[in-house]
Amino acid sequence: MTETQNIISAPRQRHRAVNYRLWLPLTWLSLVFGAAIFAPWIAPLDPLAQDLLYERLPPAWEQGAEPGYWLGTDGLGRDVLSRIIYGARIAIVVSLIAATAAAIFGSVLGLLAGFMGGWWDRVISRIIDIWMAFPPVLFSVLLVAVMGTGLASVIVAIAVIDWTRFARVVRAETLVQSQMDYVDSALIGGAGRFKTLLQEVLPNVLPAIVALFALEMGIAVIVEAILSFVNLSLSSDAPTWGGMIAEGRATVHYAWWVLVFPLAVLFLTVLSFSQLGEGLKRQFDPVLQ
Amino acid sequence: MTQNVFTLEISGLNVSSHSGTRVLDNISLQVEPGEVRALVGESGAGKSMIGRAVLGTLPPILDKSSGHIILNGKDLSLLSERKRREWVAHNAALIPQDPLSALNPVRRVGAQIITPLVRIHSWSKREAEDRCLSLLDQVKIRDPKRVLKSYPHELSGGMRQRILIAAAFANRPPLIVADEPTTALDVTVQKEILKIVRLLQEDTGTAVLFVTHDMGVVAQVSQTLTVLFGGRVLEDSKTHDVFTRDASHPYTQALIRSTPDYHSAGGKFVPVPDNVIATLHAQMRERLS
Amino acid sequence: MIIRSFLARFFSTLVTLFGVAVVVFVLVRIAPGNPIAMMLPPGATEEDVARLRALYGFDKTLIEQFFVWLGNVIYGDFGTSITMRLPVSELVLQRLPATLELSIMALVIALVLGGSLAVFGARFRGRAQEVGVDISTGAALSVPDFLWGLLLILAFGVAWPVLHISGRVDPHMDVDLTTNFYFFEGLLLGDFALVSSVLSHMLMPALALGLPLAAMIAQLLKQSLKEQLDQDYVNLARVRGHGETHVILSEALRNAALPTLTLIGVQFAFLIGGTVIVERLFAYEGLGNMAIDAVINRDLPLIQGIVLLFAVLFIAINLTVDLTYSLLNPKLRHD
Repeated sequence: MTETQNIISAPRQRHRAVNYRLWLPLTWLSLVFGAAIFAPWIAPLDPLAQDLLYERLPPAWEQGAEPGYWLGTDGLGRDVLSRIIYGARIAIVVSLIAATAAAIFGSVLGLLAGFMGGWWDRVISRIIDIWMAFPPVLFSVLLVAVMGTGLASVIVAIAVIDWTRFARVVRAETLVQSQMDYVDSALIGGAGRFKTLLQEVLPNVLPAIVALFALEMGIAVIVEAILSFVNLSLSSDAPTWGGMIAEGRATVHYAWWVLVFPLAVLFLTVLSFSQLGEGLKRQFDPVLQ
Repeated sequence: MTQNVFTLEISGLNVSSHSGTRVLDNISLQVEPGEVRALVGESGAGKSMIGRAVLGTLPPILDKSSGHIILNGKDLSLLSERKRREWVAHNAALIPQDPLSALNPVRRVGAQIITPLVRIHSWSKREAEDRCLSLLDQVKIRDPKRVLKSYPHELSGGMRQRILIAAAFANRPPLIVADEPTTALDVTVQKEILKIVRLLQEDTGTAVLFVTHDMGVVAQVSQTLTVLFGGRVLEDSKTHDVFTRDASHPYTQALIRSTPDYHSAGGKFVPVPDNVIATLHAQMRERLS
Repeated sequence: MIIRSFLARFFSTLVTLFGVAVVVFVLVRIAPGNPIAMMLPPGATEEDVARLRALYGFDKTLIEQFFVWLGNVIYGDFGTSITMRLPVSELVLQRLPATLELSIMALVIALVLGGSLAVFGARFRGRAQEVGVDISTGAALSVPDFLWGLLLILAFGVAWPVLHISGRVDPHMDVDLTTNFYFFEGLLLGDFALVSSVLSHMLMPALALGLPLAAMIAQLLKQSLKEQLDQDYVNLARVRGHGETHVILSEALRNAALPTLTLIGVQFAFLIGGTVIVERLFAYEGLGNMAIDAVINRDLPLIQGIVLLFAVLFIAINLTVDLTYSLLNPKLRHD
């Protein structure tokens, strides 16, 4: 078996694959972030402006299109392209805030459970077990129903549900790191437990948190879309990708563009976040390098 | 058939990987009936790969090979895939390197060593079982009936290796490839295993291709030896001559001196000298460029 | 020893279940909106309100309400749905078969597809075929079930309309069965018109649920198959004349399947959770779809019942997987 080892080394190829995994998603995501930040300047039309004379116009290259409506209009004559661009705003705001909150909350609990052990670990692990038993979509729908619809509810719901993802991974990582000799030597050297946790353990767990953060952004985007899809996010007037998809799903047989364009954008964004997360995971993993 | 007196005849065997790295380079060697030939070399020399090429178990990345392997009168390269497998199953057996991984953990030992005999030789189950029991007795396994009903993890490494040796000889093949069968075992068990191999070999008259890196083992079991370096044959001679004459290749001499057994027998322990290695490496580079 | 560890596991499960019940109860009770007000006709008196509050137990303290509710739940009484005026247990049992059929179909798709991809990738390891498996499973994993559902609707509902995108069965079809397991009972009775109608409705949501799991199974199983294929017992089987595919299927697969089994169990539990949105997407008349309706209509007892049922299913599946795993693994069984 040892004799095969010198033959299967192709580190350069793997390196290229990692970069490609990082750069493609980053390119698309910077486009989405750009659209979110500069929406008022780049959107050709008002995303809320209805025009019943121009309802369900096909995209520009199809027969019956009107100039100016690049990707056509929806059932109320609103410009699909402009709504997608403004939709990026909602998606990015929700996912950034929700993922940050989930990451902070989950990581703190995970660090505590993994490093302190004992009752800390037992209680936190038990809460994670209970949390995991709920189907996430049903849980989020229920939470939004409890808190009332709106952007803040969506953000809180995502953070409240998905902190377990961080807590689990961080707890496991912390457990591994805590058993390393460097932690012992820091403790023997007189550093306090809390200081050791922050200075020695946290930096080693951080890469896992960063990779998970990218994955969580993608999950938050999809959950926001799902909540908008079942009409529990913002009002149906607001330009959300999920809301557009819900309308498109209903009229897909005669106005495919209302579904296809927001779906394509959502698809690429979710795919990019998850590829970025996977790429980062590999990049940080010393074993894979 | 009659002109062929060898159990195994390898001529001009080349094996290389997809990327073109040569693992075996123009290997030629013969094993006569009843002969024990040692294949010696450091790890990476390609010694295990020769055994694997004969048995058709090369790793998939090394599937490019050329040359002739004539096993018991049939040229394997001229046979179809299916015919080759059947011929090898009838005419060769393997004593594997690592007894711990050489028995399927989820199947009982008896099923693993009896079923192949029934299938390959169309023996009755009874016949196969009797043969196994008597061989297990010969390799000094107590209560062989109970052992046949056990799962592998219930047996020690040395016991498993003895079972595997018995299974290889149970087949009565003309050739057995022993792939470093003692490397994974304790020194005390090693001696016992070697004794058993020699005993069964003398008893059955089976030819053995004995892959090892240990010149002490070579001296104990083999009549002839082939020394490999960097996928090439360096020397091919009688074991007795190598250990008594000074005319053999300096690398072989160095290998002998670097063996702990030689040291304990009163000789002086000397690692393979750097200049011998350097000369060989220079030759290899020349060949590759 | 085994019995003791089983008991410990069981007790731990009970604690989790209790926690789940507390969370469900608290969440639903702090929901704003007065469900009683929604049930009353205009012009109802204070007395009517008080009577209804007593009827639904809203006049007691929260902790009393919790234990009354929990006691009833243990006896299978989940209360009465506010919008449909029927016992929650009855409503839930009516819909459960649809969701179970969908989940099982998704699991079968995932096992067959994921298993074959894993064997195929391991058979041609290190070659272009394996790279193909890696790329397609990587992509399948990055796309969640909701998006798979939408993509499938576009593919097989619009571009090449061969499957139905809404409902569980052809609405014109006269379904006269004793259970709500349309697919299984249809199969048993040999009613192939019904079975094919159910299949043409169920296939897309089942695929949407099953594809990510198939990818997961393919990746993990292929990895463990490859590890097994380097083992000496597999080499011995090769030397004994077995072809590569036979070696994979009859020697390596069982050993490789053990780590995959745990993953499949846990992921199947997640998959059942995924039915909620996929049923909504395909207007499939299962539990998940009913749950979202209940949330929108603020039907508290119904929400409680459904959420609790999903959570119990999740915990029960995980427990089963644990026990099965220790039974299937001879090493664990003997220790």
